[in-house]
Amino acid sequence: MGYIKEERPETIAVEGTWDVGSYHYKGSKLLEEYVKGLKQKSLIGSFCPGCGKVIVPPRNLCGRCHLIMDRRKIVSNRGTITCFIVTPPIEKGKLKVLGMDPVETGLIKEGEVVIPVFVKFDGSDSNTDTILLNTDPKAVHIGMRVKVLWAKEPQGALSDFEGVEPL
Amino acid sequence: MSRNAAIIGCGQTKHSSKRRDVNLAEMVSEAVYNALEDAQVSLREVDAFVVGNMQGFGGIAQPEQWLGDWIGAVGKPVIRIATGGTTGGSVGQGAYYPVASGLHDIVVAVAWEKHSDSKEAGATTGLLHVGLGNFFHAASYGLSLKNLVATSAVGAAAGVAVYQAVFYMHRSGCSAEHFDMVAAKARRNAAKNKYAHLQWPGCTPEDIARTEIIAYPFRYGHICPASDGASAIVVAEESLARKKTRQPAWFKGLAAFSDEENQLQSENFGGVGVLDPCEQKGCWISATKAYKMAGIKDPKKEIDVAEVYQPFPSQELIFAERLGLFDEGTAWMALEKGETDIDGRMPLDPSGGVNATNAIGSTALQRILECALQIMGKAEEHQVPKKVRNAVAHGWGGVTSYNTVTVLGDSPGR
Amino acid sequence: MKSKSEIIEVQALPFAAGFNWSTGFLMQRFIKELANRKFLGAKCPECGYTYVPPRSRCGKCYTKIEEENLITLSGKGTLVGYTTAYVELDGQGNFKDLKEPGIIGAIKLENADSTIFMPLEGIKPRDVTEGLKVEVQWQEETKGELSDIKCFRPAR
Repeated sequence: MGYIKEERPETIAVEGTWDVGSYHYKGSKLLEEYVKGLKQKSLIGSFCPGCGKVIVPPRNLCGRCHLIMDRRKIVSNRGTITCFIVTPPIEKGKLKVLGMDPVETGLIKEGEVVIPVFVKFDGSDSNTDTILLNTDPKAVHIGMRVKVLWAKEPQGALSDFEGVEPL
Repeated sequence: MSRNAAIIGCGQTKHSSKRRDVNLAEMVSEAVYNALEDAQVSLREVDAFVVGNMQGFGGIAQPEQWLGDWIGAVGKPVIRIATGGTTGGSVGQGAYYPVASGLHDIVVAVAWEKHSDSKEAGATTGLLHVGLGNFFHAASYGLSLKNLVATSAVGAAAGVAVYQAVFYMHRSGCSAEHFDMVAAKARRNAAKNKYAHLQWPGCTPEDIARTEIIAYPFRYGHICPASDGASAIVVAEESLARKKTRQPAWFKGLAAFSDEENQLQSENFGGVGVLDPCEQKGCWISATKAYKMAGIKDPKKEIDVAEVYQPFPSQELIFAERLGLFDEGTAWMALEKGETDIDGRMPLDPSGGVNATNAIGSTALQRILECALQIMGKAEEHQVPKKVRNAVAHGWGGVTSYNTVTVLGDSPGR
Repeated sequence: MKSKSEIIEVQALPFAAGFNWSTGFLMQRFIKELANRKFLGAKCPECGYTYVPPRSRCGKCYTKIEEENLITLSGKGTLVGYTTAYVELDGQGNFKDLKEPGIIGAIKLENADSTIFMPLEGIKPRDVTEGLKVEVQWQEETKGELSDIKCFRPAR
């Protein structure tokens, strides 16, 4: 039977834009040591003196204790997938992100399946957001063991951490 | 000592994908005047207004400044509350507090969203703003554009709830077919609610299962719409409530909880401290507090109907458990037995819920409004066929980290 | 407490969110009627307060105002207040000097009660006074858009 459709008249519109890109954003230097660590193929996390949680990448405040996490701990490059999403094959014209079509701009190949995952690295108590590469989408499961896939030429930037792949 | 307060009237606009026949002020005032008529209250008797919508959605930074002399607020205090997806819940609770404290006698609360004013589809504009400062920060540190697009590609479509759904499936053993059942129930119930958006009389799980997959496990048929609409309630103190309405809907218990973010790595791209986004600690803590305030000891027996905030079908099951209505991991079994249908033992979202109607700012207020309609016996075709003594309304939002729980009843209980 | 050296400037990506706000029926009539070089006002059927541009609910007595309550205004009015601008914003958060000072007037059109704010041209800032009679100047070509109103000038 389908959805009950509703017809309504439309009135003309007054247009406007909100140029979010023209704001002067400020940030902190928190990720400075993290990206330096990435260049050395090492994952640095921040450590809460209250509850002992280790967060990767580092944060400045513990979200539950509200204490400053100024201590650091290095965690393993290996971890476990705690959650995953499997997209259907991405096609041109189907999706727009930040005003860009990912296939048209060459970022994602036509028909490619993207698997964003949460990974809990050994020694960390947090979920790190990344993507799973070099695997059959059907093989993904919670509890899958993975390791970091490093960029061939590390620059000291977040892109040195390309993603994770099965152990 | 606070005094008792009750909802004496409710008003809504019809929710649809585009209310382009009106401007924002016209749409919001429709709901306000409907509520005043339902409550049989004149503007002269109203003491204050509480308004709200998602901050920045619809492209209007300070809508309360525009609305003042459209909704009848000239000469009266107006407060705007914006708390993400729980905006409506906070607005409803924000109308309770001044009445219970003795500051005002009658307060009108109205919440709305007008997505169709944004050029991008659905709630994309607003949702992107939630993450943009964070994306720019990460891009400054060389986050590859591919990584950024890949993770936000899913975010733009189905959002953070997909992660939550996969966690729940793993923890409880339910399957994607159960989500089909919840989505079909929502659309069937919405067909009985003249103000709802996605109305599909006789919708079956097979109808939902035929729609295209957005991102495993969600299909297009599972996702909530982006609706334009507004809802309003009139809250009054005890003696006025008893005079104006045969059966007011009394506020018995309220609580709210804001947690650290469960997903999305915002705030300088740091890791996410909560390992399980379907844990929703905030929901079961607020529920415990609200039930205690309401004098409810066994919600499974004492709650007659629940309006759960479920833009995604997985959340109806997750939050129903966190609200104490089902044991951990068993909500999907009750769904199979039909216990959550309109005529079931524990009806969930007889109005169709957020899954069928989602004007974001207004939806959490609608959950309170729908519970009030059930208690007052005014829900018409989607009225549950039993006496409603206690009902619980839930709101959820933020980066999956805000929860509001409101318990309403047919008597003040104190 | 974060020290100044810990704060960095983050490079923003170009992204502008677009909006088109639907106007509702009365405002739509007002905008379309500009093509005919006419101003429409809305007269409240209850208290008589006349709004321009029109609105569908009276802000004084909250009565609903319908299309049949629209009246045509002459486009002539009186200046009830004004200010003069010497700088403008450049879109990057900086002030830029205007070549000529720009006068903005609050104008009460004949038979209307609310005021509209419009640029005032054809007069020097030192000659402007409250009570000055003004009239609208239309664009060469009017298309039924808000930009059809070029400015207001002292009445001839």
